[in-house]
Amino acid sequence: MWLSILGLILGVSLGLLTDIRIPPEYANYLSIAVLAALDTLFGGIRAHLQQVYDDKVFVSGFFFNILLAAGLAFLGVHLGVDLYLAAIFAFGVRLFQNIAVIRRILISKWSDKKEVRESV
Amino acid sequence: MKKPNNHKRGKVSKSIVFSIVFLVLGFILAYSYSLSQSDDGSDNFTANSQFEKEESFREELIEQQERNKTLREEMLAKQEALQEFESAFSAGQEDYSEIATEAEKLRRYVGLMPVEGEGLKVILEDGEYGTQAVNPNEYIVHESHVFQVIHEMYISGAEAVAINGQRIHSNSTIVCTGPVIEVDGIQHPAPFTIEAIGKPDVLAASLELPGGVLDQLVNDNVVVTMAEGLEITMPALLSES
Repeated sequence: MWLSILGLILGVSLGLLTDIRIPPEYANYLSIAVLAALDTLFGGIRAHLQQVYDDKVFVSGFFFNILLAAGLAFLGVHLGVDLYLAAIFAFGVRLFQNIAVIRRILISKWSDKKEVRESV
Repeated sequence: MKKPNNHKRGKVSKSIVFSIVFLVLGFILAYSYSLSQSDDGSDNFTANSQFEKEESFREELIEQQERNKTLREEMLAKQEALQEFESAFSAGQEDYSEIATEAEKLRRYVGLMPVEGEGLKVILEDGEYGTQAVNPNEYIVHESHVFQVIHEMYISGAEAVAINGQRIHSNSTIVCTGPVIEVDGIQHPAPFTIEAIGKPDVLAASLELPGGVLDQLVNDNVVVTMAEGLEITMPALLSES
């Protein structure tokens, strides 16, 4: 747990401190990678709450989704098709669905606890 | 003993994997954040160019509007001047008609409009080739003869003159080129028909003065035919060329 928080802090500081300038047209890929990462993260949280969480699936999904999204956007730019829109759409929809599922699970858990406390 | 150990190792590797995942996540988030922060300034290429385009279009629009404004002001000034003119016209109606007739007359002189009227027609032909003279130059019409006639016509009040139907204006050139003459670059062979619009009797009288143009022409073996009182029409100068 502490190691992962340390990793997060390290990553954030590394990202803020890097002075590498990438061409503006590649910023699109980065935004899609961010979306993919967030989607996978929330997917992992949801899976954990639903007790179907699997380490391998989460880690592989995290990196694979990032790479796939960036690759899709890259392909789209080179084909002249706005494929990154597909990635944004898919990840965005899934992100919202995941967050909605998490919210519902949390609410049901909370109300269950309340009921238990009241019954006691 | 084995199981917890295994479990512990799994937990450690798990947290390492998680730390890597979060490192990557944090890096991506922070990096894109810093990138977007710096992009807001000047790096955003497409938005920047669009902004510039918009700016240039706006400037163009302002320029056009300013131009429109100046033109409108000019138009207003012109309209004011026109109104002044019009009021002046209504004040002096007689003056206006006088000016109009004068303009008509001047246009006729300048040759800007086709004219029609009574006038005199003079035809100059080469003389018959006699056997006693060797030089044929003494028997053909030269441009000097044409000049004489035209000058005489202008002096006696001709309003418009034409040679073989070609209008003469103030800058006309008449050049002798061998057996033909060139009027403003257009060649005319003999006989030359010189038409003049004016008072026919005055024109004819001035040509027929004793020792005048007619006598000189006859002296130079030129056959002159005069026809007065004809209705002559001449084209405008601009319609030719």
